[in-house]
Amino acid sequence: MMNRTPTLALAGLLLSFGLACGGGSSAPAPQAAAPAASLSYTDPAGSSWRLLKDASSTPTRLVLNLVGPAGTLTRGVGFNLKAPEGLKFDAFPGGMLIQDAGVYQLLSNALDPNEPVALVGGVKTGNLLSAGIYQKGRDQGAKDSGAALCRIALALDSAHRPLAGTTFTLSVIKARIIPEDIGSPTDEPFTLDRKLRMTDISVAVGTVTAR
Amino acid sequence: MRRSRAAQAALLTFLLAGGSAAAPLVAQAAKAANPLQASARALEPHRVALAKDHAMVLRSQFGLGEPDAFVTRLSFTNTQGQAIVRLDQTHQGFRVFGGQALIHVLPDGTLRTLTQGVQPGVKVEGEPRLSKQGAVAIALRHLAPQGPMTDAPKVERVVFPAKFAGGLAFTQDPVTGKQVLDRKRLVHIQPEQPFVWAYEVRTRVHNRVDAPSELTYLIDGRSGEILRVDNALHTARASAPAQAKAPFAAPATGNGLGFYRGAVTLATTEMNDGTFSLWDNTRGTVGNPQLSGFGDDGSGWAPTGLQVWYASHDASGQMDWNMWLFQGNAANSWGDGQVWNRVPGTENSANGQTAAVDALAAMTTTWDFYANVFGRNGMDGNDTAVFAQVHMNGGYMEWYTDNASWSSWAQGMSLGQGSYPGNPKGLLELTDLDIIAHEMAHGVTDATARFVNAAGLEEAGMAEGTSDILAQGVRAYATRGAGDPGNAIPATGADWKIGENAGHGTPIRWMDKPSRDGRSADAWYDGLRYLDGHFSCGPLNRMFYLLSEGASATQGATNHSPYYPAGFTGIGLDAASRIWFKAVTENIVSDGTGSLTFETAREAALLAATDLYGAGHANVLAVEKAFSAINVGLANGQAPRAQVAFKDWREGDYVEISHFSGWSNKEFFPQGETVRPRVKVENTANTQVAWTIGGPSMYNGAESMVGKGGRINADGSWTTPMEKGWWAITATSQADATQFAEGRAFTINLDADQDLEQDAVDMGTLAFSWYLSNGLSLAHSVFNAPWVDDGDVGAFVDAVKNSWLPK
Ligand SMILES: [Zn+2]
Repeated sequence: MMNRTPTLALAGLLLSFGLACGGGSSAPAPQAAAPAASLSYTDPAGSSWRLLKDASSTPTRLVLNLVGPAGTLTRGVGFNLKAPEGLKFDAFPGGMLIQDAGVYQLLSNALDPNEPVALVGGVKTGNLLSAGIYQKGRDQGAKDSGAALCRIALALDSAHRPLAGTTFTLSVIKARIIPEDIGSPTDEPFTLDRKLRMTDISVAVGTVTAR
Repeated sequence: MRRSRAAQAALLTFLLAGGSAAAPLVAQAAKAANPLQASARALEPHRVALAKDHAMVLRSQFGLGEPDAFVTRLSFTNTQGQAIVRLDQTHQGFRVFGGQALIHVLPDGTLRTLTQGVQPGVKVEGEPRLSKQGAVAIALRHLAPQGPMTDAPKVERVVFPAKFAGGLAFTQDPVTGKQVLDRKRLVHIQPEQPFVWAYEVRTRVHNRVDAPSELTYLIDGRSGEILRVDNALHTARASAPAQAKAPFAAPATGNGLGFYRGAVTLATTEMNDGTFSLWDNTRGTVGNPQLSGFGDDGSGWAPTGLQVWYASHDASGQMDWNMWLFQGNAANSWGDGQVWNRVPGTENSANGQTAAVDALAAMTTTWDFYANVFGRNGMDGNDTAVFAQVHMNGGYMEWYTDNASWSSWAQGMSLGQGSYPGNPKGLLELTDLDIIAHEMAHGVTDATARFVNAAGLEEAGMAEGTSDILAQGVRAYATRGAGDPGNAIPATGADWKIGENAGHGTPIRWMDKPSRDGRSADAWYDGLRYLDGHFSCGPLNRMFYLLSEGASATQGATNHSPYYPAGFTGIGLDAASRIWFKAVTENIVSDGTGSLTFETAREAALLAATDLYGAGHANVLAVEKAFSAINVGLANGQAPRAQVAFKDWREGDYVEISHFSGWSNKEFFPQGETVRPRVKVENTANTQVAWTIGGPSMYNGAESMVGKGGRINADGSWTTPMEKGWWAITATSQADATQFAEGRAFTINLDADQDLEQDAVDMGTLAFSWYLSNGLSLAHSVFNAPWVDDGDVGAFVDAVKNSWLPK
């Protein structure tokens, strides 16, 4: 087996520690406020990686698109998104916590009609959504990331009785993309190994407010 | 004269075997168990034709048409005078894998059809691109034997229903004894069409360096992909026969002194040179498929009858992989009644012959049991010759030494020489009657029910249980006195133990209360299938014991069942044997994929009992009670029991849905994470369960694994072990402590990017290494394998789905 540099793994770890205490309700609830009944979302500024409100959102269910910088070619993206108490991640039809927005090529066009796609999402302890969408293999070209790539959904978690006026801070704790260059099978193993890495990105998140 | 080294002749046969046409089977005049059976036999050809016509008429009901037909695989006439006809389904003249119809033609001409095996709407386009030779090459490349292939693979072009693609399996790691994922049988390719052309390639590995196997491959005729892999070798513990040659030698009667059987009279053969051999040529007139590969040496020998052969050994005592007939005996007096001293070169001495005396006497008794009690003509119903090879040892991981096996390929048995007393836990020579009767019963079920005998399937337990059940019948049959009728099984004589003598007092299995061995199950539960067939047969064996002998109402009695606490009267060994033999040979339809359950066994037995004794007969009710007593179905008037099942582990599950039903309630989980296993409790208001680590299947070959597998936390969550591998957790109903379910979990390492965190980001690493064959870190595979395929992707998706549920 070839050598591996531990740098990337360590960087990921440090990042996790640095941000792990993020999240939680950032504003105290106003006194005697009414129970929250709906959610609003303000999109973040900027044109890099960000979560933008999707038109399919309803007052009680917030749907967010992950959008990347235009012109950047990628083959997939995964991220861990922490939500504070009072919010819960909501599933899409079929029970999945992430929805394909149609940019990435998820099937390999192999013979298997039941081919599993690399689309995965779950909620880990600490209300942490871990979700990913990826193109398998290397035959499909990388795609322009300047469009909605996948969707996730949030709703009020009535178990925690959130009050109207509460502001929720979402934080993306880890996010990585599969870059355009993943090497070629004809590369030297060492070269190929270095290219078989995901690249860290940071994702801007807007503000969620309960109404 | 001595036979030349026959094993070398077999090697030669391999080279010459390609393309030889199968000789037609000739039905032999067979012994009938009663006059009704004898007279009905004359009508059998006519009734087979009736059954075939009927199947053809049924085609339209199944969306079948002109290209579809049914051909006879097997027919026989039972003791009630009914013709039992098993038909293989064909399309354009090629067999449809798993497709069959089972038709009973009653004496009054009534037809009864079991059509659950018929594959509807068969349609297949074009022609295969792959040749037969190409398919064999693909299978052999996958098989990758280390030692010589002494048998040429057999190949047949078939139509393959896509729904049978699969074969995810696990196997026992020979070093650790742990169950591990069997990558060799991991099949993920799904055909594009509902039916495709395929080649069925049957292989046999039987040499000193490989684990013995009889793997059957299904190879896609277009893509060359492996669609399915099964193993057909049957063991005691965990073809087209050639035309008979006219023997020149003469039947004789010899005397034997066995270790297990004592003094016996043996049917032997006088050879051309005037000496005798352990060859009973009065039974089994159709040539044995393996022995037919051996050349004629002018001794008068032919590949027919019941024959006992031995393995010879080198100076170190290791089997040298040559096989020899017991022969050259001038006095026709065999054995000294003593355990063989295992001195190389003395295999065919009086001492070495003792095991062969036991073997031949057992084979003769077993053969006559089927002929006289059930009117069955040999194991396969076709009067095919059977052989045994004794004094076997060595092989891969000493596999042959303390084991016995039946090869449906060879229609013969490998019988180990045993390792006791040198190895105190070992066995004596595996030639006792119950072991041989068990093995030969595999020959009966291979030709009829055709159970798929693989761990992970309830069918495996049915295969092993049926062999144990019929072995008890043979045992009792062997004890019959001069006044007993030859066509019935005496009420006494069963000892409900298997292998007690070979085990020098400790049985390999108990049938009355199988759990006495600390491993076998006494009753059915959700998860029974994870046990090896030699342990999951427990409930069936106990059902049969209770059906024969009755169940007690006294708590704590061996024959008391908490599932049917009232107890009931047994119906006797003869009636119980007839019901189960009929169920297995006439009513069970295995589609070749292992989908039968103990529930189907119950239905087949009830159908058989009703047919034999009439609806509502006490014997029919006793069958219901006996199955109820093993937690399968309810007896008349019994209230539903609480049921615990890992149903959620199957719903929406990738591996389960798209690949193999054998993965029912087996699940992937990430290693070292805290998860909440889900289980369904039905028929009770109290749906609470108590969780425990481990389960019955964790006893399999690895006592050290019992109780290992992470920990159950106070809130009922499960922290999985920080280690890749198979684990079990058990949920027991708090409403009814007799009801529990075992779930098996395979923990995988999701941390493909090695950042010490298992999350969805890791899947990106899998995605870009998918099917990449170089430059790949083992960490990229969730199995730490040197490649990543859809097995990894599916397992990853399922593991996340199981572990990190939305609120
Ligand atoms: Zn067996």
